[in-house]
Amino acid sequence: MPGRVVTVERRPRPRAMDSLGALAILRGLAVTSRHFFRNLWGFLRGRPTIFTINYPEEAQQFAPAFRGMPVLVEMPDGKERCVACGLCEWACPVDCITIYPAETHDEVERYPRVFDIDMSRCMFCGLCEESCPEEAIVMSDRVAIASTHWRGNVWHKQDLLVPVGDLEKRLGSIRRGYDTRASEPAVERESA
Amino acid sequence: MANITVDGTPLEVPDGSMLLPALLDHGLQVPHYCYHPKLSIDGSCRMCMVKVEGMPKLTISCNTPVRDGMVIDTQSPEVVNARHGVLELLLVNHPLDCPICDQAGECYLQDYSFEYGTREGQSTEPRRKLLKRVDVGPRVVLDQERCILCRRCVRFCSEITETRELAVFNLGDESRIDTFPDEPLANDYSICTADICPVGALLSKDFHHKMRVWFLDETESVCPGCSNGCNVKVGVARREVQRLLPRRNDAVNDTWMCDHGRLGYRFVNEARVREPQVRRDGAVGEIGWEAALDEAAARLKTLGAAEGALAVIVSPHLTNEELFMLRELIAQGLQTARFDVALQFGAADELLIKEDKAANGRGARDLGLVTGTLEEIAAGIEAGAIRGLYATGTDLWEVWGPRSAALLARLETLIVHATNAHPIVELAHLVLPGLTFAEKRGTFTNVAGRVQRIDRALDPGSQLSDGEIFFALAHRLGAKLSTPRFDPTLMLQEIARAVPTYAQVSWQALGGGGLPTAEREVAAPVNAEAEG
Repeated sequence: MPGRVVTVERRPRPRAMDSLGALAILRGLAVTSRHFFRNLWGFLRGRPTIFTINYPEEAQQFAPAFRGMPVLVEMPDGKERCVACGLCEWACPVDCITIYPAETHDEVERYPRVFDIDMSRCMFCGLCEESCPEEAIVMSDRVAIASTHWRGNVWHKQDLLVPVGDLEKRLGSIRRGYDTRASEPAVERESA
Repeated sequence: MANITVDGTPLEVPDGSMLLPALLDHGLQVPHYCYHPKLSIDGSCRMCMVKVEGMPKLTISCNTPVRDGMVIDTQSPEVVNARHGVLELLLVNHPLDCPICDQAGECYLQDYSFEYGTREGQSTEPRRKLLKRVDVGPRVVLDQERCILCRRCVRFCSEITETRELAVFNLGDESRIDTFPDEPLANDYSICTADICPVGALLSKDFHHKMRVWFLDETESVCPGCSNGCNVKVGVARREVQRLLPRRNDAVNDTWMCDHGRLGYRFVNEARVREPQVRRDGAVGEIGWEAALDEAAARLKTLGAAEGALAVIVSPHLTNEELFMLRELIAQGLQTARFDVALQFGAADELLIKEDKAANGRGARDLGLVTGTLEEIAAGIEAGAIRGLYATGTDLWEVWGPRSAALLARLETLIVHATNAHPIVELAHLVLPGLTFAEKRGTFTNVAGRVQRIDRALDPGSQLSDGEIFFALAHRLGAKLSTPRFDPTLMLQEIARAVPTYAQVSWQALGGGGLPTAEREVAAPVNAEAEG
């Protein structure tokens, strides 16, 4: 049995003029030229109208919600905030995080002896940041993660540590985004 | 039997039993901390409260005997409210240590808070400060702040080990678990207190900060530490055994296991022999599996041709299936060889630790491999009559003690199965790697004659098991074998056919709790569900 008959509307064939492309080429040239002169004019006046930047001399400013490379928060004493609880390792959908915990004599008795992120696997989903109970791993605005080695885009703890001062914008953003209780009034909260 | 009604459902429960175990046996969920099926009733946590019709107040189900016609409600608003209250009070002083606490993931306080608790606490007082990281014993660490004073550990030390190291000190708000001065928690079962601790107050030092429990793949198995055959769960992560936990089997180990057995898994991870090694002209080199098996078969054949020149020392750490395969190998390929099992004996206690230190000495006995000629073999080597030795394990080194090195050095041919680096490996002419209990399937027979399954927790890759080595050797020596390959399940069928006491045994019939083969063991009901 034949299927349902569908009538398809064909677009009219292009005219000879269009199919030669002469008009289209001129039209395209006009668009390009317009942008060229507009940008040139803007550049000369010191008020560029374009979005491209001179990378790597200039760096892109990202919004706080941007998810770049995950990094570890380094406290002013030079130690990581991470306590190696393993929740990010569990949450990571691509298993790019490897943590080996160990014990210290500090007040918080646990720290990551090894904290590795395989950046060639990371897909910047941000679930590690969302699952972190300590605000210790955040998605930074860093994007330069390319490696010249085919193997070995594994970042170790020392490569991943970023001073907490450099991450204030992102930390403020995730506090607003993830702390659902921040909007609830009522009960007085105890600092953990 | 008494007939009771729980949440509108009629249930039949045994007379005289307490309400909570009766409900748990029917698979009902009633939250509880202090109740443990193998300990006396404490009634201190107040978590298992239920509503019983006719009683003026809620009652704790762990200490309420069942009565015919009882009507119980475990879900009423009063019960839910009571649980909220109990959990809130427990959490008033409980530190928010979950990210650094090893118990997280298998913590009853976490689980019940999630399931039965409220989201917010109302207390604005600072939390009670107590000692953290208290070194209570050589294998256990205590965090007093996390303790919820259920006293399971105290009861364990007074009722099970009867050593009474742990106690509750002070009163009321100041109550804390501690040890007496100069009396550390050092009994042979001390890590069991960490098992039964429902929170992270008592923790095993061996597992401390090692691995998150949610990364562990757990396989049901049997502890190879002695012949008691305690049922365990082998926790594996990152291709290593991370811990052993006891698994409930009322006919063997209840819910306990000794520290020695629990910490005896390390050899699985460390200093393993992975490739066959051959010694030629004093130099040791690795050779492939095929070449190693050919070499072993050739040497065994040459030695077997001369009457009394070869002896086989059987390791009691092999599974029943492997022992049976070895029996076939000896019967069909090495008829002239003498053989015996290298059994090791040591200290025992009344609770679980048994004298026979091998996991499967009983299985070797049941299969007729114990001949009592170990000393004669030693004498034969001494006299030079026995020129070749095939040791299927490294046990004989310990059994023969200090004279081993001199005895083994006299041999023309020494073929050894070794799982780990060992002095014997240095002397052997041919080393065949063996697999540990965590890497193979099979059965062990414990000292009381109970056959129990072990299963593969770690993948050994392309490495052959001891049984497969025996099969390959038997094949090369021209034996007629009844199975096309070494398959533990098939081999167990062969054992059931050949050994009368094992007639009932099959992989399926064994299940998680094993089967008794001897008269002297009385089968007790086995509750496969472990109680933490």
